[in-house]
Amino acid sequence: MKRKVLIIVWLLLINFAYSQGCSDAGICTINKGFQQGEITFKNNLEISAIYSLGEADLVYVSPYVSYTKRFNKRYSFTAKVTFSSASGSFGTRSQFGDAFLLGNYVFKENNNRQWSALLGFKFPFTASNLKINGYSLPLDYQSSLGTIDVFVGTNYQYKKWNFNLALQLPVINLNKNSYFSEYAGTDDFPSTNLFQRQPDALIRATYTIQTVNKRISFKPNLLFIYHLGEDSFENIFGQREQIKGSDGLTINGNFLASYKLTGQSQIELSLAAPFEVRTIRPDGLTRSFVAGLQYQYSF
Amino acid sequence: MKANFLSIFFLIFVSCQEEGILTQQREITTLSPSAQLKYSGLFEPTSGITVSGLAKLYWDQNQHTVSLEGFSISDGPDLKVYLSKSDAPTQFVNLGNLTHQTVYPIPVGVQIEEYSHVLIHCQQYNHLFAIAELQQN
Repeated sequence: MKRKVLIIVWLLLINFAYSQGCSDAGICTINKGFQQGEITFKNNLEISAIYSLGEADLVYVSPYVSYTKRFNKRYSFTAKVTFSSASGSFGTRSQFGDAFLLGNYVFKENNNRQWSALLGFKFPFTASNLKINGYSLPLDYQSSLGTIDVFVGTNYQYKKWNFNLALQLPVINLNKNSYFSEYAGTDDFPSTNLFQRQPDALIRATYTIQTVNKRISFKPNLLFIYHLGEDSFENIFGQREQIKGSDGLTINGNFLASYKLTGQSQIELSLAAPFEVRTIRPDGLTRSFVAGLQYQYSF
Repeated sequence: MKANFLSIFFLIFVSCQEEGILTQQREITTLSPSAQLKYSGLFEPTSGITVSGLAKLYWDQNQHTVSLEGFSISDGPDLKVYLSKSDAPTQFVNLGNLTHQTVYPIPVGVQIEEYSHVLIHCQQYNHLFAIAELQQN
């Protein structure tokens, strides 16, 4: 038995080490915005620290703070602020990322089936043009994509299964990134000067396993993200250029394990890695491995 | 206790930067003694901007380059050096960020006869800072 567990862990680690491309402009963690389960408390505070590996030699530490207010059995509202610190050959750049505002409505449950709907907005704290020593940085080093986005989504819960469907639409582009690979001294990252990003569509399937006392739960899930068009940038001649291969499918595997510390608090460990990635990933959202630790407190 | 908490919060969340191999201050590039001057022009400021110096266009080591000589300009957040077809940033070659460097190579294949100005332009706020009209030498 012990040997089987070790083999499974080893296979998972091999997979994490050689996969690429967990795309997340906020949409990866959108399922957190869907209100689920019994409502015991009206307020929920969540603090999270995420460690991840990106393109080339990039390492990220990305904490966030999230607060959810449940007005009644149906309505809830979530506010979330992200921060990102990226380290690699360009150096280390740290900054606040985005603010998320999400509203959620839960429909009446019917024979173990329940729908909910979500509407949200993302506001960037930067124009995605952070520099070091005056040198422009690729989007991989930026804490935000510099777009105001709208989220629309729905969640369907049936017994132990949970399905999310969501769209993330950049509606106002404030991106002023000025990175040119021609002038950077490396070709690890594509040019993203005055980057324009296309929308994403998401489908996620989650299965929940709980221990008898419901103290520990496991939520393995599979996440499909389709980038609905080719992104573009302005080249050195001032001409807008499509980035071929920047559209397409990303498939991520995600494993969540949570443990209830008390009736009001729990910790959650999440591990994620991609199985399928887009050919070109100029938005800097690529992660080969993600490990997150969250602490939730309800009151 | 409260002060400690605030200090930790500040250290974690403050915006910060640290240079890496690719963002260290690079050595100043200089022109070779055999560089041939082709065009030059005096920088003129736009409203509210202070600028001085010349833009000179050389043929140097099989490549055209723009050299900023005796140059200084008001601070700006995202200043770029453009080789432009007019005195407005509409048709141009973006030669990169304005840094401590004075020499900006022009990409191979650019027909320099078609370009008449060197501009200093703030891309992030789309504000033109300075214009140098090039005259043939």
